[in-house]
Amino acid sequence: MLKIKHFIEQSWLLIVSSFCFGLLIAIASAAWSPRIEQNERDKRNKLMKELITDANSFEVAVEGVEVRAKKGRPTKTDIYKAVDSEGKSVGFAFIAVGSGFADKIKLVIAVDGRCEKFFGFKVLASNETVGFGDKIKEDYLGNQLKGVPAGELELVNTGDDKKIDSEIVAISGATVSSKAVVDIFNAYIEKIREHLQTKGFVE
Amino acid sequence: MASETSNTSVLGQTFVAGLWDENPVFRLLLGMCPTLAVTAAVKPALTMGCSVIFVLLCSNIVVSLMRNLLKPHLRILMFTLTIATFVTICDLFLKAFMPEMSETLGPYVPLIIVNCIIICRAEACASKNGLVVSVIDGIGMGLGFTITLCVLAGVRELLATGKIFELQVMPDSFVPWAAMSMPVGAFITLGLLLALVNAVSKRKS
Repeated sequence: MLKIKHFIEQSWLLIVSSFCFGLLIAIASAAWSPRIEQNERDKRNKLMKELITDANSFEVAVEGVEVRAKKGRPTKTDIYKAVDSEGKSVGFAFIAVGSGFADKIKLVIAVDGRCEKFFGFKVLASNETVGFGDKIKEDYLGNQLKGVPAGELELVNTGDDKKIDSEIVAISGATVSSKAVVDIFNAYIEKIREHLQTKGFVE
Repeated sequence: MASETSNTSVLGQTFVAGLWDENPVFRLLLGMCPTLAVTAAVKPALTMGCSVIFVLLCSNIVVSLMRNLLKPHLRILMFTLTIATFVTICDLFLKAFMPEMSETLGPYVPLIIVNCIIICRAEACASKNGLVVSVIDGIGMGLGFTITLCVLAGVRELLATGKIFELQVMPDSFVPWAAMSMPVGAFITLGLLLALVNAVSKRKS
């Protein structure tokens, strides 16, 4: 009994404070979460629109596709169908996650309506080193992936970056981040195609 | 009357201390991580400074109010809990209302939790003084930190892009120093500003 009394005397402030602070965070989170989620949706749609310029709107085509990247746990992603103003499917986009140099890299990747070639990618979130790894956000890597056949990609240190093929030339000073992007593409594309075929969106 | 004047003088000294004599960056060399990491441009530096003012002010108020209830061996735990709460609220606010800035600042907003300035002020001032002194100290220290960050960021942005707040300041003939936007630019600028502040202090004394 004395022990319990001593415990309460010592820790009551900590327990009460934890409860109050927890409540404060819960209120803030409940109030702002819808706005935060809306911001994320807006950003995702904006990036998808930049990749698939003909798209008028996006709708979820396949939900919860489970993909295991080279490192880390399997992640689930949704595949979005891009629809033009006439209601025709003009491509598919999905969010892909993988390990970068500093932290996880989150990409938006787009493929054409037949899942035969890539439209490219945009970085949704990354904490790669400023001035080095974050060069993956620039056009150098993105341009190399535009129009590339949707299949296994290979990263090379030297080569012709203007040639549209599966050999992707790494960014100088950002080799690890470039490899992370290529690994993400390789980890996702087969799974995405498999699900699109299963659901009858592509042949 | 004399006591009232003395109180005002103490509050004035507490406020000014954060701006110069005990400036967190130039004199105490605290908070070096955000100082070096988010000062490539003035806007993120200003946002980081305002975030630190908010967290410092709120944590100083809470710690000051509970100072008589604190158990010595639990005080660091209480400080961390208090600081983490306000940092989380600040982080959520930025994500909700300034999403682009939140992305630019990346992990450095959550890292305010381990910013030595906040815990230092909780330990050195708020846990030993009343509410008014703690509030003044929080504002003074926060402003000192923000002004320092903005000065550093202003120099770096100006030399790296020729602009400040995205407004062209330098003539068209100016060749931008790309290195100033990189970590090396942060170290060099901070070193030179520290040397300048030390030189001014020596001359004053």
